[in-house]
Order: sequence, then C-alpha cells, then structure tokens
Amino acid sequence: MAQFHPLRVTDIKRDTRDSVVVTLAPPADAQDDFKFVQGQYLTFRRVFEGEELRRSYSICAGVNDGILRVGVKRVDGGWFSTFANEELQIGDTLEAMRPMGNFHVPLKPAEARAYLGFAGGSGITPMISLIRTILEAEPKSTFTLVYGNRSTTAIMFREELEDLKNIYMGRLNVVHVLESEATEIDLFSGRLDRAKCDQLFARWIDVNSADLAFICGPEPMMLAVSEALKVQGMREDAIKFELFASAQPGKAMKRKVSAGAAAGGARCSATVILDGAVRAFEMDKEAQSVLEAAIEQNIDAPFACKAGVCSTCRAKLIEGEVEMEANYALEDYEVERGYILTCQSYPRTDKIVVDYDQ
Amino acid sequence: MNEESDILEYLAQGGKLSAPDNAPPRYRAELLRIMASFVDSELAGAAGFADLINAGPGIKEKIASSRIVMEKIDHAERVLNIMGEFGANIARYMNVHPWRARVGRGEDLGAERRDGDMRLNVFHYPLDGWTDAVVMNLLMGQAGVIQLAELSHCSYQPLGETFNGILPRERRHWELAAEGVRKINESDPEARTAIMASADYWSPRVAESFGGARSARFELLCSFGLRHRGNEELRNEWQAGVDAFLAEI
Repeated sequence: MAQFHPLRVTDIKRDTRDSVVVTLAPPADAQDDFKFVQGQYLTFRRVFEGEELRRSYSICAGVNDGILRVGVKRVDGGWFSTFANEELQIGDTLEAMRPMGNFHVPLKPAEARAYLGFAGGSGITPMISLIRTILEAEPKSTFTLVYGNRSTTAIMFREELEDLKNIYMGRLNVVHVLESEATEIDLFSGRLDRAKCDQLFARWIDVNSADLAFICGPEPMMLAVSEALKVQGMREDAIKFELFASAQPGKAMKRKVSAGAAAGGARCSATVILDGAVRAFEMDKEAQSVLEAAIEQNIDAPFACKAGVCSTCRAKLIEGEVEMEANYALEDYEVERGYILTCQSYPRTDKIVVDYDQ
Repeated sequence: MNEESDILEYLAQGGKLSAPDNAPPRYRAELLRIMASFVDSELAGAAGFADLINAGPGIKEKIASSRIVMEKIDHAERVLNIMGEFGANIARYMNVHPWRARVGRGEDLGAERRDGDMRLNVFHYPLDGWTDAVVMNLLMGQAGVIQLAELSHCSYQPLGETFNGILPRERRHWELAAEGVRKINESDPEARTAIMASADYWSPRVAESFGGARSARFELLCSFGLRHRGNEELRNEWQAGVDAFLAEI
C-alpha cells in the first residue's frame, strides 16, 4: 500500500540555473524503507491550491554513498519542480513513498561489462546513480555516457561527472552532445537523434562490444537511440528504458463533480460486508468511489487495477443504486445480477449495501 | 512536455515504460488486466492440478506434478508483485477467489468471462483423471509458452522481463507433459483412445484462450505495444504444434 514518510531536507544545492539537487533524510523509524537500488526514484506528494499532486524524481546517488538525494529540474508550469527550485528550504519536510523503479540490472562484481548510457537533459539523474553504483561495485566494468543538452550551462551534474571521470580513470567516458553550441568536433553538436546516434556508433562508440544500454530522456530521443542500437545488433532485452520519472501524465486526483447526478442529499450511508464482518459508515456521493471510501475506513477490500478493467474489487450491491463510471470487466449478466466494480462505483441513493463476500 | 498523447505516441512507436507512474490510465488498466489474467490463470491452474498429484501413477509423475504446481504459484507471485507496484492490494489477492472452483465438465462457457476472477476460461473446466490432466497440460502448456513469448516483448519492461524469466520453466512444464503423454501412450495399447478423447475435449477450449480473430481490444493493445502478433497467428502456431505432436504418437 502506498505509504508516505516525512523526509527532512538537509541540503539544497543549485546545480544549474533551473535545477537543484535536494538531499533528504528519512525519519529514524523508516531508514530501512529508504534503502534503494541504483536507478530508482522517489514519489513525492504535496498539496497545491487544495489539490494533491504527486511527482517522481530519480535518486541521484550510489547505493553505498550513504546519502539520499534527488535532482529536480524546473519545468515550465510545473508546480512541484518550481516549488522545489524556488521555495523549498533546508529544514523543510517532503512526503515521499519508499524508493521504487526497475531501471537497473543486477550487479555482477566479478564481470567486466561495458555499459552504455544515454541521457537527455534531466534524464541524467538515474544515470548518476547507475554510474556511481556500477563503477564502484564492478571494478572491471566500464561506462560510456552520451549526454545530450541544449547548452553547456544546462548540463546537470557537469562537475560531478568530471570528478567521477577522475576517480574512475579510464572506466567512465562522457560524450556531451550540445544542441545550440558549435563544438570543435561536429560529431558532438546537435540533437541526440537517430542520425547523431548513427554517426556516434560509426565513429566513436562500439555498440558491438557493449553488454547493456540504459536510456533515459524524452520520448523521441529514447526511440531514436533504441532504434539505432538495434540496427547495430544490440538485443532488445539488453536495452533498458526509463522515461523521465517526472514525465507523468497529469493526474486528476479528484473526480469532476457532475451536477445533479445523484438523488437526495450529498451524503450516503454505506454498509460494507467483507469476510462476514458488517461495517457501516457515511460517505460523500461524489468525492470517492465505494472502494476508496471503504479503504479509508480501513476495510481491507480487495482491488487491483482501480480502473474498471480487472474484477478484483467486484462486489454485489444488495441495496441502493450506484453509478459505475467505467466497466471493462463485468459481463452483462453479472451487472444484471447486481454485481458492481466498487472502484468505479459512486452512490446515487442515500443508502447502499455492498457485499464483497457474494 | 510529456503529455499523455506523447507517451501514447511513444508506445505506438515501440517505446517502453519501466515505471507505473508513466503509464497513462487506460494503458495501466489493460496492463493490469493482462497481469490479473495471468496470475488468476496460474493460481487456478495450480489449484486444479494440485488435486491430481495423488493420481500420478509413479513417484516421477508425483514429483513432476508437485513441481509444476509449486512453480505456477511462484510465477503468479512474481507477477502479483508487479501488480503491487501499481498499488494492487496483493496481501488480499490470494484469497479473493475460489481458485479450485470449476464448472461442470459438459458446460460450455464460450468466450464470455465467467464471474469472479480473470482466469482464462480453459481453467474453469475440471480435469478428469490423470491422463486427462496430462493432456490438458500438454495443450495448454504449449499455448502458454506461445502466449508468454508474445508478452515477453510487451512495452512494460519489468513485466516483459518477468515473463522472460518465467518462460523457460513454463516450457519445461510443457515438456514434462509431453513426456507424460508419451509414457501413457507407450504403457498401454488402449491409451491412445483416451488421449485423443481428452485432446478433443481440451483443444477447442485451449484454442479459445487465444481470443477472437478480430478484436478491438487487440488493436488497442497493439497501439500500446502490449501485443504484437495477432491472435489468429498465435493460435495457428499452437495448432500446428499440437497436430504434429498428436500425429507423432
């Protein structure tokens, strides 16, 4: 279950004009919850103007660095990223879920693997975690990073990458590709697109000797890089993708209230039967689904997709009426018999009785 | 940046996702449906086959069937864990549905989903003794391998990798079933009739599990990069394999 923990902001470092690196300390009782795997991210929540917003940011630290930090690049119109860049102070608290994400492969300390990393803009953040962790844990492995940015001043972690190159002499190679700056070599200016990848692979990077590739950036860049890698013969399962963790579709956390949809008052007295236990509570007809209301009452109701597609949250409506927003799971005969998907059901009557046991 | 339409376009062009938060709502829903269908099928299949362990004629058969039951439950757990990353209540999941429940042997469910869980309908039909169970495992085992291979390319990379990890073991279950059918066939000159009768019973039901030849959902899943090869193509591959095997014995 999604549980948020308060993390204290212990440091904020400006990295570029529009990005900050925020260091966080988990509470004493949740230290273990915040151990992470390289390439994972944290999901934060914060209320802006009465609306809860959730945003994920990649952890940009190695697993043994003993530090938890995220890089936040300001996005135009992005509430959370603007807040983090302009208002957040040392000593503030941010609420975050424990680290999640699958942008990694198991470490193999005995092996000498050649990794390729492709980052666009703030797509560098999980790469920092991968590079720091891999180069420390696999002493024989190498990492070649191709890093695309608009200009030199926009390069996040620029100094840190230089430091890492010095620490891991000869094992970390960084190729900067800059869009709006002419560099000495044409190869390194322009966009990180398919043509640029083809040039790099023809003249600079040997894809055939690489074992794995990680790509993180905007969608077109990720498609271009993966296509170019596959043309060079890299297997699909050797390419790991991560869209910008912060690239989430805008989530409407609250359901839009349709005027006059429900009969009677705004509240409904709901009775839920689960595992033979009967629980009664009041709920708002519009604000929450029957499932959400039950969960809020600490009723251990079953659910999975919360999108009306699977049928895990199915229950029988014994009394009252509900409006089902979406139903991709129940067959007509089930609906006729009174079954509902509780994740999609909003009460229409002042009283409903829902039985999960039937 | 990164509007939902951009992500859908990215998926349509072969892009992959690796984090639940990037999944647009309908994509997330269809992905969870695929996962729920797999988990429920494994749990229901294991529950049905568990009853047949005692019917295994020798110690090798009992070991093989126990192993199949155990590994199918393990596979369910692996995918259930991914569902958990999407917020599913996985602690609760295992006991929501009566996995052992079966309809009558003669009933015909067609393609309509039976009430309750999301298992493939083939797992709603009861096994009828050892030979029948082994034949069912042979036919559905082969179908499962073809279906898993297809889904191992799906655009949700953590699920694709999990299916890739499951695939060799599911392939082994199928091979064990094939060995079992051969052994039954060689043990008794009369056995072939029973094998063919079971194959006749299970074939249409397994064929159904590939889905309709033309399906709006399939088109949607293709645009999400969750599916690639058509239902009919997969079904034909399976049919050819089954025909070849049955002709051989």
